[in-house]
Amino acid sequence: MLTVRDIKKYYGSHKVLDGVSLRVEQKKITYIFGTSGGGKSTLLKILIGALRPDSGEVCFGDTVLTGLADRQLDPFRKRIGMLFQHGALLNSMTVGENVALPISEHTTLDDSIIKIMVKMKLDLVGLRDFEDLYPGQISGGMQKRVALARALALDPEVVFFDEPTSGLDPIVASVITKLIADLNRLLGITCVVVTHAVEEAMKIADKIVILYMGKVLAEGSPQEIRASTDPVVQQFITGSPDGPISFHATSKDYREDLLVG
Amino acid sequence: MKTIFGYIGRALITFLQELSSIYYLFLETVAQSIVLFTDRKKLRQARLLEHIDEIGARSLLLVLAVSVLLGIALTVLVSFQLKELGALSYIPGFVAVAVFREMGPLITALIIAGRVGAAFTARIGTMKVSEEILALETMAINPVRFLVVHRFIGLIVSLPALTILADFTALIGGFLFGSLRLGIPADTYLRETLDVLMFKDLYSGIVKAVVYSVVIVMVGCYRGLAVDGGAEDVGRSTMLSVVSSTLAIIVFDTVMTAAFYG
Repeated sequence: MLTVRDIKKYYGSHKVLDGVSLRVEQKKITYIFGTSGGGKSTLLKILIGALRPDSGEVCFGDTVLTGLADRQLDPFRKRIGMLFQHGALLNSMTVGENVALPISEHTTLDDSIIKIMVKMKLDLVGLRDFEDLYPGQISGGMQKRVALARALALDPEVVFFDEPTSGLDPIVASVITKLIADLNRLLGITCVVVTHAVEEAMKIADKIVILYMGKVLAEGSPQEIRASTDPVVQQFITGSPDGPISFHATSKDYREDLLVG
Repeated sequence: MKTIFGYIGRALITFLQELSSIYYLFLETVAQSIVLFTDRKKLRQARLLEHIDEIGARSLLLVLAVSVLLGIALTVLVSFQLKELGALSYIPGFVAVAVFREMGPLITALIIAGRVGAAFTARIGTMKVSEEILALETMAINPVRFLVVHRFIGLIVSLPALTILADFTALIGGFLFGSLRLGIPADTYLRETLDVLMFKDLYSGIVKAVVYSVVIVMVGCYRGLAVDGGAEDVGRSTMLSVVSSTLAIIVFDTVMTAAFYG
């Protein structure tokens, strides 16, 4: 459904993505892991068309997204939903208005029907009673659930999740993980999740892609990833502080750095 | 020396790039305004009257208070010289011309640039930082139509209206000081004022106000959309927004005054 071919992206002279290729299968849950600063968020922004790669292409079905002008991306954007890390709800609008926004913008439906749809979407995330509150009046976890309801407003084919469970308590985190699984199993929505949370991914992912130093280090089912003998992959999934991935983000010699400056 | 030229060159390039970005933002805003007026549902959702109220009506008291004081101050200044010459009857005409042609539109625009333009930058900049604008784009909602157009229309309606009110309020300030303090008879004051004022004085002020409102909205919204970083950049951009729109207003003022009356 979504194919990424040899994507490269630089920030100045810093290479963030160095030839990333992957496939997102239709109606499957794909998890993308990586170290912090490893290019996950950049890849996600490229996938949703918010950022252009320096080379390579992203295809949605038969359409090459990377070749399209900004406005030509709109039909694609109406077919996807995106859950931002901090929700990115519009603070000047109520919860209900936030969820209604994509529907009222892109359909000619009557306000009374939109109101019913908003209630249904909010019920999906368990927040039907919070329609009239503003984002600032509800907790971070609730904001994420509202943002998910908004992402689902136009019944998208693919939903992208940026760190959906970071900063949440374990119960809300598992609620969100279960929601992702339900969306996929019950509604057949393709899910692409960028996260650090290995355990939740192992539970519900159909496919896991591990990004390391701007490249795809490993990809496969949770079983295949668990069975990998690559020490870097093993360090990723066990979260061990000891291993080939260094805690220090510098390549300079420590003694030289202290003495020479 | 090389560094100085390098610095000037870079500053000039940045300035020209920003100017071109603001120009394209203006074109997009005009195009999106036309789109909005052709779509009744979106027009209703844009709640333009609320924005006119927010931008214009809520600045009214401040503008009127400043204008009445401006009228008094101008009268005091002029009377100081004209009294010596025994030419008090020239005061009404002088104050009216100064207010309608220059001070009314300029002072009102500067107040609004500080009050409303800065708020545009801070609001849009904060939305940029919290990824709300990226969220709009991801939902295939044009951020210019959603964030700039109603501010553009709101200010283009509000600022000329505020300017006209400010002009007349400043005249009242001048009239009060002139008649109560300087002893110019009320009927003489009114007659002198009306004798000097021309219709051109009023409409040149309105034309100026329209141009200033475009400047304030474009600079304010551009600076907000150009925020790239955290809270610190929102603060810096807000400051830059006020500084650059103030400068731009004064430059346009000089050019337009010269064009109308030069």
